[in-house]
Amino acid sequence: MAVTNLPEFIRADGPDKVTGSGRYTADMTLTGQLVAKFKYGEVSHGRITKLDVEAARAIPGVFAVLTAADVPDVRYSYGLADRTLFATDIIRFEGEIVAAVAAIDADVAQQALDAIVLEVDVLEPITDLHAAIADGSPLVHEAIDTYEVTGDTPHSGNIATHSSISMGDAEAAMATADTVVTSRYLADASHATPIEPRAVIAQWEGDKVTVWTSTQVPFDARAGVCETLELPTSKVRIIAPHLGGGFGGKCGAHFEPHIAALARAAKRPVKLVFSRWEEFIAPDRRREAMIIDVTTGVDADGKIVARTGEILLDNGAYMADSSFFAQAAAMHVAGPYVIPAVHIDAKLVYTNHQPSGSVRAPTAPQGCWAIESHTDEIAKAIGMDALEFRRKNIVTSGSTGCVGQTYDEIGLDQCLDMAAASAGWGQDLPDGEALGISVGWWPSFAAPAGAYAKLHGDGTVQVITGASECGTGSVMTLRMLAADEIGIDETAVELIYQDTGAAPAGPGSSGSQTLFNHGRAVEKASRMVADQVKELAAAQLEANVSDIVLDNGTASVAGSPAISIPIVELAGASETGEILGSAAADAIEWPEITGSTCLGEQGFSSWLAPQFSCHVARVRVDADTGVTRVLEVHAVHDSGTILNPVAAHGQVEGGVMMGVGQALTEGTRYDDQGNQLNAGLLEYKLQTIADAPKITTQFVEIFTDNAGPRGAKGLAEAPNVATCGAVNNAITNATGVRIRQLPMTAERVWEAINDSEAAS
Amino acid sequence: MSTSNPQAVTLNVNGVPYPVAIDTSRTLSTVLRNELGLTGTKEGCDDCECGACMVLLDGRPINSCSYLAVQTQGREVTTVEGLASQDDLAPLQRNILAAGGVQCGFCTPGMLMSATALLDENPTPTEEEIRIGLSGNLCRCTGYARILDSVIQTSVEINS
Amino acid sequence: MTMTIATTIDEILSGLSQGARPIAGGTDLVVGSRQGKGTLPEHLIAIDRVSELAHIEVGAETTRIGSGVTHATLMTDPTIVASFTGVSDAAALVGSPATRNVGTIGGNVMNGSPAMDTGAPLVVLGAQAELASTSATRLVDLDELWVGPGRTSAADDELCTALVIPNRPESSGSAYVRLEYRRAMEIAIVGAAAAVTLDGDAISSVRVALTAVAPTIISVGGLDAVVGQPADEAALAAVSEASSEQAAPISDLRASDRYRRHMIGVMARRAVEAAARRASGETISVPVNRALGVGAQS
Repeated sequence: MAVTNLPEFIRADGPDKVTGSGRYTADMTLTGQLVAKFKYGEVSHGRITKLDVEAARAIPGVFAVLTAADVPDVRYSYGLADRTLFATDIIRFEGEIVAAVAAIDADVAQQALDAIVLEVDVLEPITDLHAAIADGSPLVHEAIDTYEVTGDTPHSGNIATHSSISMGDAEAAMATADTVVTSRYLADASHATPIEPRAVIAQWEGDKVTVWTSTQVPFDARAGVCETLELPTSKVRIIAPHLGGGFGGKCGAHFEPHIAALARAAKRPVKLVFSRWEEFIAPDRRREAMIIDVTTGVDADGKIVARTGEILLDNGAYMADSSFFAQAAAMHVAGPYVIPAVHIDAKLVYTNHQPSGSVRAPTAPQGCWAIESHTDEIAKAIGMDALEFRRKNIVTSGSTGCVGQTYDEIGLDQCLDMAAASAGWGQDLPDGEALGISVGWWPSFAAPAGAYAKLHGDGTVQVITGASECGTGSVMTLRMLAADEIGIDETAVELIYQDTGAAPAGPGSSGSQTLFNHGRAVEKASRMVADQVKELAAAQLEANVSDIVLDNGTASVAGSPAISIPIVELAGASETGEILGSAAADAIEWPEITGSTCLGEQGFSSWLAPQFSCHVARVRVDADTGVTRVLEVHAVHDSGTILNPVAAHGQVEGGVMMGVGQALTEGTRYDDQGNQLNAGLLEYKLQTIADAPKITTQFVEIFTDNAGPRGAKGLAEAPNVATCGAVNNAITNATGVRIRQLPMTAERVWEAINDSEAAS
Repeated sequence: MSTSNPQAVTLNVNGVPYPVAIDTSRTLSTVLRNELGLTGTKEGCDDCECGACMVLLDGRPINSCSYLAVQTQGREVTTVEGLASQDDLAPLQRNILAAGGVQCGFCTPGMLMSATALLDENPTPTEEEIRIGLSGNLCRCTGYARILDSVIQTSVEINS
Repeated sequence: MTMTIATTIDEILSGLSQGARPIAGGTDLVVGSRQGKGTLPEHLIAIDRVSELAHIEVGAETTRIGSGVTHATLMTDPTIVASFTGVSDAAALVGSPATRNVGTIGGNVMNGSPAMDTGAPLVVLGAQAELASTSATRLVDLDELWVGPGRTSAADDELCTALVIPNRPESSGSAYVRLEYRRAMEIAIVGAAAAVTLDGDAISSVRVALTAVAPTIISVGGLDAVVGQPADEAALAAVSEASSEQAAPISDLRASDRYRRHMIGVMARRAVEAAARRASGETISVPVNRALGVGAQS
């Protein structure tokens, strides 16, 4: 709708979102569309002995029933090509799709599911990480050695990848330490839990399919459809309507291939909308469970001299995009510290759980929580204040970190001091309340991205980008960049996005890359437009091109603002009536490292434009029940230049809140058969507004070379890294006990207090 | 499955009467979205746990995913589409945008309906009353801070 | 399937006698049918527009709360807040504003869940359910009404028309507290209600009932020892111990039986303490969960 009383700066999709006129995928209806439903394996591990869909196909109103027999025999996934669209012989997790139906309505679709004959020999589920890697363990994938491998993915048995980071001689260095602290931490799996359950609609016209889907990554979704259905890129168009949140959970190709295949077989448009239960059990994007063992040695001055660690990560049944997780986890367990000798070994282990995949800063909240809890344990062991110990050991500008990467100007030390000051570190608090501190880090990712920019004859600009608007507002920031380059008001910039049929490819909304990569492409394409405007202006104003300044809708000669031409006139004066720019973002060089990654290199040891943060949490613990509330979080972030303050604050606040949930109430529970027990929003508890802490956000803005547009780094994931650790350290400071399993539920806190009282 | 036996009813939504024939088992949210085309009301969970489906029934919030549509006959339903006037956003809509309280936007309609009901009943809520009033609406994006700010701001405007 | 919207109790009773099932807010019914816990009845009769069911009447001996009174009303109605505060505490903790707006005390009681919040306070206050059919009206004690999880002794053609609570003596207070993992949108993991009457500083009567620790809501017995004592640490410890002992909790994903057993002691102690403070004239705002302790506003 057209509204006249908009606030001054707002996101371009804002009016649609507050009036209800914005359409999300589930809001769309195509003429004649059918309802899709999936038949799931229902057991976490089993051998299919019979699968008969003939009775289902015979039901009036059922237009298609598909199984593995009805789609190309393609194995896919990154790292190890270990999966197929439909289960073939073995069911490896409860949400594995065995068959898909398309029917006239939901009731008939359900009847069809009920009519499918599926007989399964139930196999013992493999769920324990240590047992899974022991000699003689049954294998989740018996034919793993025949799978196609991409990247550096060393695998064996149930180990999907194995990665280590190594610098110096950690064993020898540990022997020189004055104090050695060893800790074990366990993290339960958790979920991205966007409020919008995913939806997919596919429609064929001739041999071309258009898929509307709630994806964060339209180009990856397209690649997935093309690969699994063996279609050329030109035959598949992916459009993401408004997207109701993703948090990594909607990365990758998910169910687009299944729905495209159903629509082709049914010769009708087909629509899938997930229930909340499906949203919990079916996607291959769960946050991985972990077991973390870490040992650190410090010298008499409280400097870290060595760190060793062993990490097991629960990969679940299939590779999603998890091949880099082992290496990423190792980096978090090493931490943003100066450590001369490190050896950390991480294994990504197959189990019969739902597959793990990128959820907002994958591996980081758990890895950081463990290492920052461990850090407080070290500080306590040597009698040093937790803040002081970190000051002494964190990486600063010019120092060399855990893999031998030497950092340019970075602001972690400022983050630490500002967060501590904001929280009033050292102040007396009421009984049961305490502060806890944690630092965190996360890399930025460079990826190819392109953009088109068009200045129309009426003076408005259209920017066409492969970026996706997950909610973060970073696509909205692209308008600001284009406007600024061309010298017009940002309200005159229209964005076309989330459509593979229109835009050059890009990474979409994943890995905090929207602004970092798409921004650089938009900036460059817009600059091409600006350069042409300047040339036209120079000719008309009889000045040098290099002297032309574009600002406020006019082109003028530097130093002589009075001599100017409206940009709209120049746009109209071009030969075609519009001025075009198209560009790919320049490649970025990755920093050098001197340490070794030994094996399993997945590009996660050298961190480009690393982001740093410090969170201080204030908690109140009810010692009689273990119930913990986070009252305040003081977050300070170094994410380079901040281009859109409203969006940046929103990212930090949202990331912190997600961290509070992961810290206290969000953990997936499994029964002994590997099935989720709390696949719903009553039992998987997100934090409510009544629980929300007061969040104080500050930024250390350091212009960063070799980074995103105008010295910006990524920001969407980093705020989700440090909160859990800060909360744990605060709980310990409030109660004297240490919680060793995430989430730190009331019962776990109470257990620790109760056990400690019983022991004393 | 229950037998299909549509009941002819008139639903009053945002001041507009909608004569429809619907099965008794149909929930209000599915009828709003599918028959009436009012897709601003979202479905995020189907068991009253997320609040995305919140609408007002005679001015008070209900989860439309779990309320039978035929039970609203003779009553007035208000959805997010009914908040703005022809040209102007309602103060809450404007303030939530200005504060940055909208990210993915999927919880926003429900959040706005809860906040509207809260401010209608209590134009001067305390911060705690706002928190309790909106506690049935989950948001995964914002951390709630800016949503809270926008309700406080609207309350200030209403009372000045 | 059909729905009739009733405007009088007689219409409802006649409908029930012909096999229709009552629906008030419908939350339990509709969500339950969607989760496969049951199918929607073939014939529904909407009872939420019957004004006779929505009254709260204070009589000489008893107070009658119509079954159609919503949780939103129970948590704010001056009579309930003043005299039967534990019911208000419980109503204020139910779900969200939306569920409190449509959910009714009658629906809660007749759903028969051992996790219902309003059940335990009604028990400690000695409430009876008024059940009506076309042929008769009777009063039933709640421990006779609830026969198992989700099951009541009411006949299919009986409607719960009201909860009838004896009026409280002077110097009485009641409270309901529950264990919550977050401050809103919770379901009782364990909960406890207490009703206390004081004679000076001494407890002259005390009743405690427990939520979600047995197949139905249970009353704690054997509290005679604390009668005549002040509501001090020793008395609270005795109540706490008795409650923990008498609970029969299960382990499930919400909590282990061990944790539940300890927590029910904590909740019972807090409920009695809050009830005693209210009995002594202190105002503790509704609900206790958000007035005191870790759940208190900042």
